[in-house]
Amino acid sequence: MNTLIGKGEKRIDAYDKVTGKGMFASDFFSRAAKMPQMRLLTSPHAHAKILRLDVSRAENMPGVIKIITSKEPGVDWDQFPKPAYLAQDRVIWAGQVIALVLAETREIAEEAIGAIEIEYEVYPHVLNYDEAMEPNPKAVVDPEYETRAAGFSDRPGDRASDRKSPNVVGAFKLNTGDVDRALKESDIVIEHNYFTGKKTANPLETATAVCEYSPDGTLTMTSNGAGVHGVIKQTLCRVLGLKQSKLRCIQPYQGGSFGSRLNPFIEVLTALMASRAKCGVACSYTRKESFTTGPSNWPCYTTVKLGAKKDGTIIANDFTLGEEIGACINNSFFSGRLSSSGVAPCYRFPNTRMDTFAVATNTVPAAEYRGLGCPETEFGIECVINELADGLGISPVEIRLKNILDPGDLNIYGEPIRSTGLKKCLQSVADAIGVDEKPVQDMGVWKKGRGCAVGGKQNTPLGRAEAKVWFNCDGTIELFTSVDEMGMGATTTMAQICANEMGVRMEDVKLTNSDTAITPYDNYSASSRATYTAGNAVIIACDDLKRKLKEEVAREFGMHPSKVEIQGTTAILKGAALESVSIPSLFKGWTPFSQNNWGLKIGSPVEGVGIFCPAPVQMWDKDGRSPRIWNWFQYSAAAIEVAVNEETGQVQVLRVASSSDTGNPINPDIIRGQTIGGVHMAIGFALNEEHLYDENGMISNANLSDYRLPTILDMPLKENVHDFINPDSLPDGPYGAKGMAESVTVPVAPAIQEAIYQAVGVRINGYPMTAERVLAAIKEKKQKEAAR
Amino acid sequence: MSNRIDVALTINGRLHNLNVRPDLTLAETLRDELNLTGTKIGCDDSNCGVCTVLLDGMAVKSCAMLVGQADGREITTIEGLETGDGLHPLQQAFIDYFAVQCGFCTPGMILTAKAILDENPKATEEDIREGLHGNLCRCTGYVQIVEAIESVRDGKYGEARA
Repeated sequence: MNTLIGKGEKRIDAYDKVTGKGMFASDFFSRAAKMPQMRLLTSPHAHAKILRLDVSRAENMPGVIKIITSKEPGVDWDQFPKPAYLAQDRVIWAGQVIALVLAETREIAEEAIGAIEIEYEVYPHVLNYDEAMEPNPKAVVDPEYETRAAGFSDRPGDRASDRKSPNVVGAFKLNTGDVDRALKESDIVIEHNYFTGKKTANPLETATAVCEYSPDGTLTMTSNGAGVHGVIKQTLCRVLGLKQSKLRCIQPYQGGSFGSRLNPFIEVLTALMASRAKCGVACSYTRKESFTTGPSNWPCYTTVKLGAKKDGTIIANDFTLGEEIGACINNSFFSGRLSSSGVAPCYRFPNTRMDTFAVATNTVPAAEYRGLGCPETEFGIECVINELADGLGISPVEIRLKNILDPGDLNIYGEPIRSTGLKKCLQSVADAIGVDEKPVQDMGVWKKGRGCAVGGKQNTPLGRAEAKVWFNCDGTIELFTSVDEMGMGATTTMAQICANEMGVRMEDVKLTNSDTAITPYDNYSASSRATYTAGNAVIIACDDLKRKLKEEVAREFGMHPSKVEIQGTTAILKGAALESVSIPSLFKGWTPFSQNNWGLKIGSPVEGVGIFCPAPVQMWDKDGRSPRIWNWFQYSAAAIEVAVNEETGQVQVLRVASSSDTGNPINPDIIRGQTIGGVHMAIGFALNEEHLYDENGMISNANLSDYRLPTILDMPLKENVHDFINPDSLPDGPYGAKGMAESVTVPVAPAIQEAIYQAVGVRINGYPMTAERVLAAIKEKKQKEAAR
Repeated sequence: MSNRIDVALTINGRLHNLNVRPDLTLAETLRDELNLTGTKIGCDDSNCGVCTVLLDGMAVKSCAMLVGQADGREITTIEGLETGDGLHPLQQAFIDYFAVQCGFCTPGMILTAKAILDENPKATEEDIREGLHGNLCRCTGYVQIVEAIESVRDGKYGEARA
């Protein structure tokens, strides 16, 4: 049965949100105004030795409950999430937490922070990729560099001694085909370096945690972090040594995330304080702390060298990438492998060499942010492909259609592509904007140009999701999941799948979500996996429930379960005198003469459970190749028309078309919001957003005035925004669906880069493509032309 | 209690006589003193707009206003829009047009939209964009928000209630 799939069912959380009644973590924080409040002492320097740290005066202030520094006994700081790593003898980024102060009120806590005595010896710092990559850099970020066991590597055989700088802290390499020969055989080779900005996701609700403390030591954590089971609970138990039975994690509505809440820094710090002070603790980051204390995304610095034949077939890809990961010491996550996965989804690239690595700097530690480094990686590739098209005199659409992978093709890892609708995505956006036609120049100093690009993003198999579903005695359905409702509509999608499977209306399904004491295990909603992983778990749970209902009904009538069908709240009995029966009518009440040990009992729901996890990855070989290194790929294409002011360098997006291969869509209206929202966010990536620093290495634009997030005025008028879904069904997705919200952001910046070039003839080899950078390039071009 | 002040706020039609610290913002007063947590706080420096409320019918950022400045004024928060007759047309339109994702900007967005349409019932898309440019939304890209507001402007939900 398939009546609700592919339909724009209304969001189940919308009423709560339009009335202001839905509770967010920050609303629990407001209600906890009388609870002890925790504030942070953070470093004003990017790199300094702490000569003296004396908290005694602060500790003795009336109303101060407890102060924790790195000297707190029995804490293994190395296990902490990087943004929660308290400074030891050195501070390694400006904004790093040095002390946690708990007091009766927020004001007392702030005052106590002022009373902490601290002296620094300021050290030189490295703030960007180039500085950090010097063979003898001004600063080595990891204080334990010399003594720490060999750095993390995703490539067997990689040696720390091979690395270019002591700030290189991870590596991944891949080799397929013969790149050197292919470059020689190429008719055209184009190579450029590309940069991308360091940015903060800036969900509108800042990181917030309220941790209650029960007399037996049980902690109840209500926070806006992601993954109540797989991230928050498991990290807290591991890092703080809490018993599984004595920690309950609850996630109310999240005020956005975009991946940035996957790092449970505020939960770890709050729970540490609660367990040490033995009382409840409430903490909420300021907007400034969201920037400076972290985390950020990780910018990528790439060198892209592509070689193609005259007909546009790309035969060589020589690719170098550095992930700038901030002050992530004791790195066990970054190696370049995640970001460079952006090379794989879209094109054949039969001869590819990738040399990728991670580089530490004295800046805020990096963590996940929509796309996991793929928008940053694919930017350079898409830009070079646009240049190849230009150089060969063929259309940017045609060159892509020639090289895009088809289902069944092997990608650079040697992994088969199971589902891709990318060619159709590209065609739809190119047609909508007229990429191959020149715009009429009718805006004076504002020059128009058009560009297009494509993007893809792998889904990392991230373990299991579970679902539980109840059939209540009155025929209502309850669904229990632990997806992260960060706004993308996952809870609605789960309810929609459940209602469809059970053959009931949406309003008959009540969802309870993300409470470790009530709802079943889910790792976390990342890598666009919720629809796929949790959606499959919901289907399996519904199958299990229907099987159990069939057994119960069959037993009641002395039939075999195979002769019973469940259709909503009705059971169809095949071959029986009674053709159908209302299932709720079979639930019996208790009387002293029927004790109801067995059978359907009023008040006791029938329960189905579902567990789904994708197949595991296979370890890659010495060349970085594997027949299964990722799971599936989501795709998107964008075509954009911009106007560039040739006197100021300002860029305005006039028209945009975005298309996604989402697999078979479950709820097209929710997808539409993700698509348009993703484009808008990526316009911010492309044109505005990056951290700037002052002389101390502190982010100087750590607020929403100076760090300019895109507003409604950065979006074109709605008649000039086109969104499409071009699905290719995913064989093991729920109803053929897959995730979609990350890839949308990928092609926007390179499409804008090409459109700027078409408008004013300059290529900005990095983003954000701020007015300053565009104007500088226009001036340089004019000077060169004048010199000729 | 010399360090506290008396203020009289009419919130969603009901008079509240409060004795509060003078350094509280209106947003903090609504949230922490009156439990009206539909008004959100997102940036502390009046750039994000999630704290927007109506002050004598005008959209204002309540994080940028001290509680004393609101003394004697009439305030509408998101909690005041739904009545016994049901949701305000803008609330219903935001549901119907999928103008809500994470929902954190939604109360401020709806109240700003109300102020825009109250001031100019024939507001064009350009007017709506101008009116909403101080309200950040990180999720939606705004298109469905504009569609929702225009549907109310165009009378799809009947005459908007004042």
